[in-house]
Amino acid sequence: MIILESFVFATVLIGFFGIVFKRNLMMKIISMDVMSTGVIAFYVFVASRSGLFTPILSEREGVAYADPVPQAVILTAIVIGFSIQALMLIAVMKLARNNPTLETDEIERSQTP
Amino acid sequence: MTFLTSFSPSDLSLALPFESLTIIWIALPFFVAFSIYLLPRLDRILTLGVTLLSGLYALVTALQANPLNLALTDSFGVTLQIDGTSSAFILTNALVTAAVILYCWRQNKGSFFYTQAIALHGSVNAVFICADFISLYVALEVISVAAFLLITYPRSDRSLWVGLRYLFVSNVAMLFYLMGALLVYQANRSFAFEGLEQAPIEALAFIFLGLLTKGGIFVSGLWLPLTHSESEAPVSALLSGVVVKTGIFPLVRLALMIPEVDPFVRFFGVSTALLGVGYAMFEKDTKRMLAFHTVSQLGFILAAPEVGGFYALTHGLVKAALFLGAGNLPSRNFKQLQQQPMATPLWIALAIASFSISGFPLLSGFGAKVLTMKNLLPWQVIGMNIAALGTAISFAKFIFLPKGGQGTTKPGFWPAMVILLGGLVLANGFYYEAYSLKNIVKPLLTIALGWLIYWGVIRRLSIKFPRLLEQFDHLIGVMSLMLTFLFWMVMT
Repeated sequence: MIILESFVFATVLIGFFGIVFKRNLMMKIISMDVMSTGVIAFYVFVASRSGLFTPILSEREGVAYADPVPQAVILTAIVIGFSIQALMLIAVMKLARNNPTLETDEIERSQTP
Repeated sequence: MTFLTSFSPSDLSLALPFESLTIIWIALPFFVAFSIYLLPRLDRILTLGVTLLSGLYALVTALQANPLNLALTDSFGVTLQIDGTSSAFILTNALVTAAVILYCWRQNKGSFFYTQAIALHGSVNAVFICADFISLYVALEVISVAAFLLITYPRSDRSLWVGLRYLFVSNVAMLFYLMGALLVYQANRSFAFEGLEQAPIEALAFIFLGLLTKGGIFVSGLWLPLTHSESEAPVSALLSGVVVKTGIFPLVRLALMIPEVDPFVRFFGVSTALLGVGYAMFEKDTKRMLAFHTVSQLGFILAAPEVGGFYALTHGLVKAALFLGAGNLPSRNFKQLQQQPMATPLWIALAIASFSISGFPLLSGFGAKVLTMKNLLPWQVIGMNIAALGTAISFAKFIFLPKGGQGTTKPGFWPAMVILLGGLVLANGFYYEAYSLKNIVKPLLTIALGWLIYWGVIRRLSIKFPRLLEQFDHLIGVMSLMLTFLFWMVMT
């Protein structure tokens, strides 16, 4: 369990450092996605503390179900994260017309007064 | 928006009229936002109608003696709480949005603009009544998306970059926030705000990082000046007037609910008040000065959480008025404005707003400042008085601009000013006890001293602060520093 948890946190951290150290805007967005994958994994991990079975009511007795609440919540967050990512990618597509390299430093220099 | 669909009609029929009114009111902006596409001709009337309804709702809730608690579905569902602080924030939102819509009335904005404006209005309202971490998360994310679409409305490269930067920073902050929310759930089996007390201390650090960044507080708020100054005037008014308060409101509510959180919130209030005003005093650009000043004023709301609602109301009205006014000035540079007189009516509007925010009697900024100062803890007093002095210095820049020139204002400018400045005068009634001799003398002295320092020192200086920390990479980097700092704070 501990190993699994540390992998989850490692994913979050790797994603975060990717956002800081990658220079390309596209790579930054992908790093953000890695980070949010880590957060989603954390929710799924916590949900599985009480058991691994999908929380659907069945005939069998004494089954250790996974906690449905974090799973339901993170489903909402996945949808939100995906729509935000879509919006960002559209903005990047538009920016790429005049800044084909998509280096954030370059864009920042030309776009800040 | 799942939380809006999570109640069934059977719940509604059992509920009391006031509760169903709340649910209809919170859902209405989203229905209107989608129906605007079907009825594009009615866009402005529909949006204005919704804001009026919000205003009425805020007044009705302000008259309720007890806070209203609503739990939709069961214990895992959405919990809402409407109290006096909520109604002040909701009233701010209603007035500022109404003023912005009137300002844009004859500017040929497409119905897309109004759709986003009203979706933003609705989700900001949702923040001001929610009492659990997940509804808050959903509402904050809807705000990010709607604000991004409003910022990028002109479709220029610069607006796209500014919007992208905003969305990126707020989304990364919200990822940290989500981790904190889960830790709260793990400890309590519920996402309600009260659970933060029993949660491990990491939860507090993660959630604070999310909310401080979203609310533009202290060093995590350095994304704010560029975003607010590069947007169009009506959008800046919305952003500075209400949107940043969605990060502040949960902090205020947490501070009132949980005594352990209160000192942190007060500490960040003082530090952001000083940081913001420090930048604002030396800023040479009108809109950037206003944006930095927002960073500082949010500190006044946090420094005394009990009375934060009233301060938020006066600040929202003033800042929206100032951003709309600054959008009508011939230039953004103070140096050029000193050479180029502006039209006298515009000067009067700007001066009224500047006087209110400096705490001049007869305007409600005075009452709000007196009330906040009264509710400070002893260790906060010096810091907040310096911040108030800094405010007077920064706004001397507006008050002493030359007037009497020629110039036209945008057609919707005056109706918007009537709402915002009228609200400022009327809001005096909330706290008329402030008018005692001792209370009146102190702000007058502060303003006089501020003006003196402005003429003596600030006017002659030309210091330009580096914008290093406002660069995109540093904004994200500062988050990790802030997180470390928060961990250190909650440990000790």
